[in-house]
Amino acid sequence: MKLIVRLILLAALGALALCSWDFFFPTPKKVIEKHLVKLARLASFSSTDGNFKRLADTERIGSLLAPNIHVVLDVPGGRSQTFDNRAEVLQAVMAARSSVKDLQAQFTDLAINLSPDTQSAVALLTVKAKIGGEPDLLVELLKFSFKNTNDDWLITGLETVKPLR
Amino acid sequence: MPDESPSRGFWYWLRVAAVGRRPKRTLLRLAVLMVAAVVVFKFALLPIRVVGLSMEPTFHDHAINFINRLAYVRGQPRRGDVVGIRFSTNLDAAIHVMLLKRVVGLPGETISFAGGYLCINGDPQDEPYLKLRSDWNEPGKSLGPNEYYFVGDNRSMPPGQHEHGVAFRSQIVGRVLFKGNQ
Repeated sequence: MKLIVRLILLAALGALALCSWDFFFPTPKKVIEKHLVKLARLASFSSTDGNFKRLADTERIGSLLAPNIHVVLDVPGGRSQTFDNRAEVLQAVMAARSSVKDLQAQFTDLAINLSPDTQSAVALLTVKAKIGGEPDLLVELLKFSFKNTNDDWLITGLETVKPLR
Repeated sequence: MPDESPSRGFWYWLRVAAVGRRPKRTLLRLAVLMVAAVVVFKFALLPIRVVGLSMEPTFHDHAINFINRLAYVRGQPRRGDVVGIRFSTNLDAAIHVMLLKRVVGLPGETISFAGGYLCINGDPQDEPYLKLRSDWNEPGKSLGPNEYYFVGDNRSMPPGQHEHGVAFRSQIVGRVLFKGNQ
């Protein structure tokens, strides 16, 4: 019985050590995944959010973006939109927040590919967005480009991808 | 004095109703059922909920169905099959969202639309499942050896608003189980 208890304790300690290592020294893929989860959370908003919260969230979105980010969005039924730097993107985010009542965005089916030199990465994911007042769910395939800048992974590019060519 | 069986009170019958006369056997059956459910719904039948109008009237918005992931284990997709297609070409990604479309073009063919009619290698096709059509005109797309052409059954909207086109064989998750209103 003592041996079993010791084995269980050892296994629990091992699991704790692994989790701690993961927490304090996350892999680049984990960091990128965390950034994307944070981006989806910050991109979501509701009509009950105050202006201060909206502004603060927009600022936090800005901290995830590289200054020279390049964005190309091509939504079905709408025209293609291009943004060439962080300021333009944040301006568009603020404009979207004032024109739409609420938005709930969820990123799913994420796949991250790290470059061989581990200094850049590409993330492909599916975004599901529920826009307040609209009956349909908006679903798009998005491609994010990341670059490791001073040990921080910033988004340098974003484009919509057609699932069917 | 003859033996008497103990009285079977309310609590006894409640226990029998809950776990059966042999609880260990019930537990074993439950465990087998759970494992079977996980295996079937993770590897064989993927439950789906249809969202959107692109497959109307064959499949309605919010309809429930299953994707049979084993449909093409021995065989290839055929023209007319309704299949689930993963969004991304990256096969490492999980599958929470798929496109539900019909296979209309097979590898090696050239697919185009003229006057709302699907053309295969220039020949207009009769599509009995198609109830909603408008005037689509699209240039020919030649399919490579592992490429298929997919389109929805509801073509009442302009082609720019309807997701359709080419994807690789590897992007096909499986064939829809219940065939809908065909």
